[in-house]
Amino acid sequence: MKRKLLMFFALVFIASGLWAQSRAITGKVTDETGEGLPGVTIQIKGTSQGVFTDADGQYRITVPSAESILVYSFVGFVTQESQVGNRTNINIQLMPSVTSAGELVVVGYGSQIKQDLTGNIVSLKAEQIENTPVPNFQQAIQGRTAGVFIESENGKVGQGIKMRIRGATSITGSNEPLYVIDGVPVTTQSQSSSSSQTSPLADINFNDIESLEILKDASAAAIYGSRGANGVVIITTKKGKAGNTRVNLNIQQGFSRPTGKKDWLNAEEYIELFTEAAYNSDLLEGFDPINNPADYPGSWLQFAEGRFDRYSGWSDWRNNETDTDWQDLAFQDATSTLIDVSASGGSDKTSFYISGSYSDQDGILIGNNFQRTSGRINLDHQATDKLKFGMNLSLARTINDRVADDNAFATPLQLVALAPITPVRDLNGQLYDRPTTTYYNGLIENEDAEFITTVFRNIGAVYATYNVMPGLKVTAEYGIDLLDQNEDRFWGKRTFTGQSVDGQGFSRWVRVLNNTSKVYANFDKSLSNGHDLSVTAGSEYQYSSTDVTSVTGTGFAVDDLKKVASAAEITGGTSTLTQFSFLSYFARVNYKINNKYLFSVSGRVDGSSRFGENERYGFFPAASAGWILSEESFLSDVSAVSFMKLRASYGATGNAGIGNFGHLGLYGGSAYAGDSGLQPTQIPNPDLTWETTKQFNVGIDFGLFEDRISGEIDYYVKNTEDLLLNVPVPGTSGFNSQLQNIGEMENKGFEFVLNTSNVRTTDFEWNTSFNIARNRNRVKALDGDQELIDSGSSRWLNVVKVGESIGVFYGREFAGADPDNGDALWYLNTPGSERETTNDFNAAARVVLGDPNPDWIGGLTNNFRFKDFDLSILLQFVTGNQIYNGGGGFQSANGDWFDNQTRDQLNRWQQPGDITMVPQARLAYGNGVQASSRYLEDGDYLRLKNVTLGYNVPSSVLEKANLRSLRIYMTGINLATFTNYSGWDPEVNTDYRSSNINQGNDFYSAPQAKTLTFGLNVGF
Amino acid sequence: MDVKRNKMKKTVIHKFLALVIAIGLASCDDKLDLSPAQSIDEGQALTTDSNVKSVLVGAYNDLGNGSLFGGNILRDSELLAANGEIRWAGTFNGPREIFNKSMTVNNADVTGEWLQAYSAINIANNVLSAIDVVNAADRDRVRGEALFIRGVLYFELVKFYAQPYSAGNVNSNLGVPLVLEPTRAISEDSQVPRNTVQEVYNQVISDLTTAESLLPSSNGIYATDAAAAAILSRVYLQMGDYANARDAAHRVITSGNYSLTNTYAGAFNNDNNSSEDIFAIQVNNQDGVNSMNTFFSIPSFGGRDGDVDILQAHLDLYDPLDDRLDLFYMGNGAMRSGKWNNQFGNVTMVRLAEMYLTRAEANFREGTNVGATPLADINRIRNRVNLPSLLVVTLPDILLERKLELAHEGQAIHDLKRLQGTADGFAYNAPEMVYPIPQREMDANPSLVQNTGYGN
Repeated sequence: MKRKLLMFFALVFIASGLWAQSRAITGKVTDETGEGLPGVTIQIKGTSQGVFTDADGQYRITVPSAESILVYSFVGFVTQESQVGNRTNINIQLMPSVTSAGELVVVGYGSQIKQDLTGNIVSLKAEQIENTPVPNFQQAIQGRTAGVFIESENGKVGQGIKMRIRGATSITGSNEPLYVIDGVPVTTQSQSSSSSQTSPLADINFNDIESLEILKDASAAAIYGSRGANGVVIITTKKGKAGNTRVNLNIQQGFSRPTGKKDWLNAEEYIELFTEAAYNSDLLEGFDPINNPADYPGSWLQFAEGRFDRYSGWSDWRNNETDTDWQDLAFQDATSTLIDVSASGGSDKTSFYISGSYSDQDGILIGNNFQRTSGRINLDHQATDKLKFGMNLSLARTINDRVADDNAFATPLQLVALAPITPVRDLNGQLYDRPTTTYYNGLIENEDAEFITTVFRNIGAVYATYNVMPGLKVTAEYGIDLLDQNEDRFWGKRTFTGQSVDGQGFSRWVRVLNNTSKVYANFDKSLSNGHDLSVTAGSEYQYSSTDVTSVTGTGFAVDDLKKVASAAEITGGTSTLTQFSFLSYFARVNYKINNKYLFSVSGRVDGSSRFGENERYGFFPAASAGWILSEESFLSDVSAVSFMKLRASYGATGNAGIGNFGHLGLYGGSAYAGDSGLQPTQIPNPDLTWETTKQFNVGIDFGLFEDRISGEIDYYVKNTEDLLLNVPVPGTSGFNSQLQNIGEMENKGFEFVLNTSNVRTTDFEWNTSFNIARNRNRVKALDGDQELIDSGSSRWLNVVKVGESIGVFYGREFAGADPDNGDALWYLNTPGSERETTNDFNAAARVVLGDPNPDWIGGLTNNFRFKDFDLSILLQFVTGNQIYNGGGGFQSANGDWFDNQTRDQLNRWQQPGDITMVPQARLAYGNGVQASSRYLEDGDYLRLKNVTLGYNVPSSVLEKANLRSLRIYMTGINLATFTNYSGWDPEVNTDYRSSNINQGNDFYSAPQAKTLTFGLNVGF
Repeated sequence: MDVKRNKMKKTVIHKFLALVIAIGLASCDDKLDLSPAQSIDEGQALTTDSNVKSVLVGAYNDLGNGSLFGGNILRDSELLAANGEIRWAGTFNGPREIFNKSMTVNNADVTGEWLQAYSAINIANNVLSAIDVVNAADRDRVRGEALFIRGVLYFELVKFYAQPYSAGNVNSNLGVPLVLEPTRAISEDSQVPRNTVQEVYNQVISDLTTAESLLPSSNGIYATDAAAAAILSRVYLQMGDYANARDAAHRVITSGNYSLTNTYAGAFNNDNNSSEDIFAIQVNNQDGVNSMNTFFSIPSFGGRDGDVDILQAHLDLYDPLDDRLDLFYMGNGAMRSGKWNNQFGNVTMVRLAEMYLTRAEANFREGTNVGATPLADINRIRNRVNLPSLLVVTLPDILLERKLELAHEGQAIHDLKRLQGTADGFAYNAPEMVYPIPQREMDANPSLVQNTGYGN
């Protein structure tokens, strides 16, 4: 019957006169061992028509003519092509690919065979990131992608992560890439009410990810126009394949500890240092309370001893009765659990992938936890030969138990500031607070406050693809990303915030709607003489709105009633709306000649509500070319070279990553004494528009010795013009800054990727993958003659300076202690007397002291397989950057105030002749505690990022148990970190002030977690 | 055959083009015209009577900002003049630098006060620029209030960022830049140089004098003619112009709208203005901030950790019978001022007691008895705090009475400077006693000259 039906269709096609000789082909696709391969894509070349092999590797497809070419592709195998000719039965054996040259790579609004790419795209597959025990997929790809710098702000789970693809292009605009999930540009901006960021990308269960493509150069990214300048990350989720239903179950259990700790003074050392500091201050003022008892009253020494009495509570500091290790109290023994189930399969016409996942990860800080529950269904249906439609839908709930920002006394790691002589609890078992503790005791926050962020995240899309005629297909797609967030905060009566108001509650709701509709056409045509043409064109409209409503109440009867409903007084409330839209037209033409010469032209016209009426639309074109040398006769005889391609691209992309309405002159609402007011908030700039990045890229892809060695080398230059810049303006104007398009920035760099198959035998395999990248960022120009944008802060050093990298550390250079008197010294650094020193901080000139941007980043992966065991080791490194410890002025301040000090402060200057970098201890005299190079250190590190050891139960055993696969594994994350940085961890950028400029800063920031997990993976 | 292929190609291309055009038409351009929901265009803000009045409220909101009269400029006045009577015991390094007289050019408080003051001045300038839009009946009042705010802030700026008037050379010593027009765009013209100390004082006197003449005597919690006169009395006192200081203070006293509170404690920690408040920043639990509470008070009253300790040297100045002594209390390990224990209480800018003290001092110095004898004015202050009347009064008596009465209310450094005193070993005109021009301002405005002792 089926056959008859096919015959009927064939007849119809014949009757149409256009497709003579249409007929059915059957066959089987097998792997290198001869076993049937299910799920292989078989496509008629130059069309979008295709089928999948069934569970046994069998397929059937109708082809229009004998000239038709069938393309057999499957992830991890070399794609093959076969001309139909007279055959009706075609059996194909696919060989596993070492390189991925034959793989299909997702590009913007389509896909392409990797071999044909002329742009720079990194492609990662599911198996490289699956089951990594981290909350966020960006952490799972760290060190695996050349030229992509990923850095967590700190070790709090679910919080902000920085990602820079080939460096930063903007000073004021966003430097984060555009993320597109199954065609939907998703919301990635933090919606946190506190100044520390959360990561909306943590809502994504990355076990659902099939592939992840990072578009790095202009050729790849220009089709994303005004949002392509920072690169684009395209995430494609898993789809079902025809054949038996496959179920995967994965269970994981893990444990985490901090990667590092710092050494602090114990009780005895604390008393010694601060007694000395107080006495030194007295001597400085001409008093000697030790040798002259009359000087004691009113002395600093008396003051300090009074403080010791206060801080030691019920205990006696004179005999070190209490010696509290506050740092230990900030951390917890963290555990994590992951349960993940998925099923996929389908028939010839309909395929599905469904999954459910639950993960629960503790942070290493007390009170920090991240839970995610998610489900997904991806459904595709071939309705007719011409019409295919489908839907992807995911729903996730994340619950993040957060802790206060790094700069709050309430955050756990600020416990280290408390004195070791202070007991944790009083004699009634209550936690001590001020005045016994030096500052607010963060443990009270842990007991008596809550900060729960709950997010419901719904990302989905429906699409339909219609084959208008052979080679021409039209796709219409509507996607939605709905982020619904609630933050519930409560501060009980004992907390810092709740104390004076009898408890405080805060509830805030955010809804971010982000929808995208687009229609585009793909046209593929094999012309005569080996010319292939592929065209993509379409338009897209995106609209996003953010609604926020919040309420604050104070005065709670008891701490158990935490909702604002129980508040005696509503003291605050607001509701806001903001929105943006993009309207875009895009196109791409790829042209290939004889499989050797590749050309591509692409472009996009973008309009956005974010820009001034004078500059609303921008055009972003790019062109590229590739030359597959290995197809040329002069190389085809060189057996060592299996593949070689040269590519070059040049193009423009934009950055529209600024706040909404930046071009308008605005007045915002305010209130005074219960009357409503208006205040100017922004000065207008009707010429405001995107910044443009012009990027040149040249690269070579190569495969040697039958692709046993393969790699890529790329060199690029990115020039960003019309920088979106918050230009500091004279404060006398009434404003601090104005958003302008001014200035230039450059990123130059190169990337090197090498993959080798070192050993390839039946029992033992060893593959190595290495990547290294260098990026050099330079600010070329600011506003006219402007040379510097100052940090405006007395505690931090990051600035923007012409001729330097963005965010360089700029300030006074510390010269240690004056050997004669222990004064802190700085190098003058004034012309002619650079190396002369001064004890007057203001007299020393500011110089560039360091750079938060790394010189080199990279990773080295070694994969071993011995029989049924496999072992994967990933080393990741970052070099050439510096870290500034903004907490240094408190933590390492030679006893300036009563914060507990790091142990290295014991090296303070004590008597004339002492040569040391730690000035004399002086209570309250600020001797050398100003922001300077004193608190700057090298941030290079090498990290054992991921070690996974697995055992796959052999199939002989599995068959008896009726299982498809069974794997037991162990994964270690950050097991070892090699660094000279003396802080907690070198991967750091304090959450409360992280920005484009403010990078590489430490401020009581939690270290990363060192995690060990055990897992079990069952397939049936 | 060839013809056929060409035809087919053409058809395909036609269809493709038609499709792309259709897609293009489906979208439309007006979707890019979105408006903000929380803000209005600056064109709108100054076009109606009620909008301009709202902008005026915005200026008051800025005046009450934590960096300004919300408290920090009062706090920093006290810290600069500490002199062993108070101690900065908090962790913030901005106030510590001010306390130590070793300010860095990027001190956050120094920067914040500058930026906030000029922000408020710009709002006041905007109101003044749109004064014709205001209903005729209210025009004088609105103009007077805007001038009051501008005058008050230039007075604060010139006191902190320039050598004191008492240091002389007022025609050569640099004051602060005078900006009297609203900012509509940023240009070269925005790079305004500093005016002299004398020019700034002249502007302050002009603004406040005009304000006094325009403002009503009764204006709710907003500025009145008496408020302008009260600040004028301070300005003249600062300039050593005692006759004018005396007369301005006298005008406030004789307005009859203010009276001393029955008890000294009654003058502080008020949710609403007391009978003694001539002008106060309004704070409640929804808007406004009381930074004096934050730094002078302790956690149980909503303060930080007790960042300012009151030292014995200060307490020793009081007569043991003085009621004012009772306001001090032991909290968080040190003595504290009890004037700032209401987290949501108003922050007084100027109160009536100061007017009696100013009139007394000025009368004494001028040898006059305008309104009352110096002795009578001083005894009025003393009697409220249960101190016996003096029989004769000397200048030191008057100055001590002033110091104790107004302690920890933000007048310390200004009195110290006009009286040419010293604090912590620094003379009234030492460069360390003057704020630096903020580094960010020096970087943004090449026309500025830095103060002595702060590099170039």
